[in-house]
Amino acid sequence: MPRSLFEKVWNAHVVEELPGENALLFIDRVVAHEITTPQGALEIERDFDDALFDPDRIVAINDHVSPAKDTETAIQAKVLRDWAKRHGIVLYDLGRNGICHVVAPERGYVEPGMTLACGDSHTCTLGAFGAFALGVGSTAQGGAMLAGCLVLGRPKVMRVTLKGRLTHGATAKDLALHVIATLGFKGGTGYVLEYAGDGLASLSMDERMTLCNMAIEAGATTGMCPPDETTFSYLRGRENQPTGDAFEAKVDAWRALVADPGATYDAEVTIDVDALRPMISWGTNPGESVPIDGVVPAGAAEASLRYMGLTPGQPLRSLTIDQAFVGSCTNSRLSDLRAAAEVLRGRSVSVPTIVTPGSQAVKRAAEREGLHDIFQDAGALWTHSSCGPCLGMSMGVLAPGARCVSSTNRNFPGRMGAGGRVHLASPAVVAASAVLGRIASPDDLPARAAVEAEAVRG
Amino acid sequence: MIVSGSVLPIDKANVDTDQIIPAHHLTGIEKTGLGKHLFTGMTGGVDLLAAHPDAAIVVARENFGCGSSREHAAWSLVDRGIRAVVAPSFARIFFENAYNNGVAPVVVPEAAIDGLLAEPHLRIDLVREVLTTSGGEEIAFTLDPLRKEFLLSGGYMAFLAGKRDKVRAWLDSRAAQAGAA
Repeated sequence: MPRSLFEKVWNAHVVEELPGENALLFIDRVVAHEITTPQGALEIERDFDDALFDPDRIVAINDHVSPAKDTETAIQAKVLRDWAKRHGIVLYDLGRNGICHVVAPERGYVEPGMTLACGDSHTCTLGAFGAFALGVGSTAQGGAMLAGCLVLGRPKVMRVTLKGRLTHGATAKDLALHVIATLGFKGGTGYVLEYAGDGLASLSMDERMTLCNMAIEAGATTGMCPPDETTFSYLRGRENQPTGDAFEAKVDAWRALVADPGATYDAEVTIDVDALRPMISWGTNPGESVPIDGVVPAGAAEASLRYMGLTPGQPLRSLTIDQAFVGSCTNSRLSDLRAAAEVLRGRSVSVPTIVTPGSQAVKRAAEREGLHDIFQDAGALWTHSSCGPCLGMSMGVLAPGARCVSSTNRNFPGRMGAGGRVHLASPAVVAASAVLGRIASPDDLPARAAVEAEAVRG
Repeated sequence: MIVSGSVLPIDKANVDTDQIIPAHHLTGIEKTGLGKHLFTGMTGGVDLLAAHPDAAIVVARENFGCGSSREHAAWSLVDRGIRAVVAPSFARIFFENAYNNGVAPVVVPEAAIDGLLAEPHLRIDLVREVLTTSGGEEIAFTLDPLRKEFLLSGGYMAFLAGKRDKVRAWLDSRAAQAGAA
């Protein structure tokens, strides 16, 4: 019986079939951050003798608010730190840390065929490696820490076939937004999105992570990309991976982690990647997105229009903005920063702009290339790594009514601050919008020489 | 077990977890005491709760609990005395979190929601899986048979703890197979 990639990974991890089409699913790796881990860890300490199934399967990362902003967040970080130390769990702490979905793969903790759970909905990012990467609540994460497994209903599988290549300034972010707009905000609920097609083969690991990151925004259980040479090259020589023959033996096993010819799916959708253009969200969920040349659609939800201060038919490009943000687990890797820097090089931002690398390792790599100079010469704020303004939890919170073009993943009401209005876009669109002070694509920018001449004229 | 109480009507689809409890309230390490933040991220949420101070049952439209994995959404509902959410559909992670925290996610047909939003009071029999309106109309629903136990008696963690030996044996056999290969 031909099997999908998802089925292969799933079947290899079912410890026991449970009532109600649930399974007891073995979890190879738990990624633990300071916001959602303490509750489960404390419960295990109180009620289960502080016994973890296998501390070596856990990697801990202080990521959301690091450094701490107040006493409460300092306590969260301390609880994670003390717990990790007590159990001998590897911890990426202040100075070596970053967003967990950026740090875990860059440190080699994610590989094809594994199951991975984290108390964070954007864990689906890591499906880019052909892993089954699951966002869960604190209790389920605690279960995986306590017993090495959790209860999960078997999801259905939707094959998302990508045809063609990204051109015309479209990026993986635009592809992600287009997929969500196509499926609908809850169109993926109950499904794993298994990506396929020639359009996938041409994507880098950074791009695949951006694509899988937003699977949850269509409601999907997770996204998965079959591993290939791009995946193996990313992992080869990475820390926490074996070297030489031992690594190549793993690669040989990983090569089997592709869908069999004739594998069947519960649903199918095909995406014309060639036709993609830069996208922008207009509403209050990521599915409410259109090409940047588009207008606010007729028949748009009244609540979304009211919250965003928009009317149907209004061109998105006409909107002035108050802030711009490049960062988040969606778009904060080195290639994202390069894309933003390419637009900002020799130009100036006209609204407050924050650029937040996804990890301290990304930050250092960007600085070796001089990207920090480009951002700061343009007048943007270059920060330490963190989740940053994305979820309005620490810095960069929007004022009520303020409009922000953001490379993040959620434009929910209040997401980046009460009353704040978020438009989701790629790093390049964010950068171009920051320069012009309105929603714009890089194509809208005047030639750099003209900008420079204007600057000289003052 | 029966949940009987007044209704908090939320005439909205896609009530995401940022609306249920905004991220700046996720700074604690405990599951308790979060009720004061419930629906503070939702336009009109505070007023709605003030108008229904004794609500035990939320009625909302499709895709309730979408967005973040924060279990704080379920904890804040429980802390405010909410024991069931009635909606046509739920996001997966919230759905699991609700079961694990004694908040029944009750799935009913979309067509029933208009009427249920207007109900002052509902009675939900979680054992029989029947919802009864104030007029006596009955709507059947289905709970996940395994998660229903966690809902009624708690014990998700204890259930998994009881599987540890089995998981270790499974892991040993996986390692043996890999070694043989």
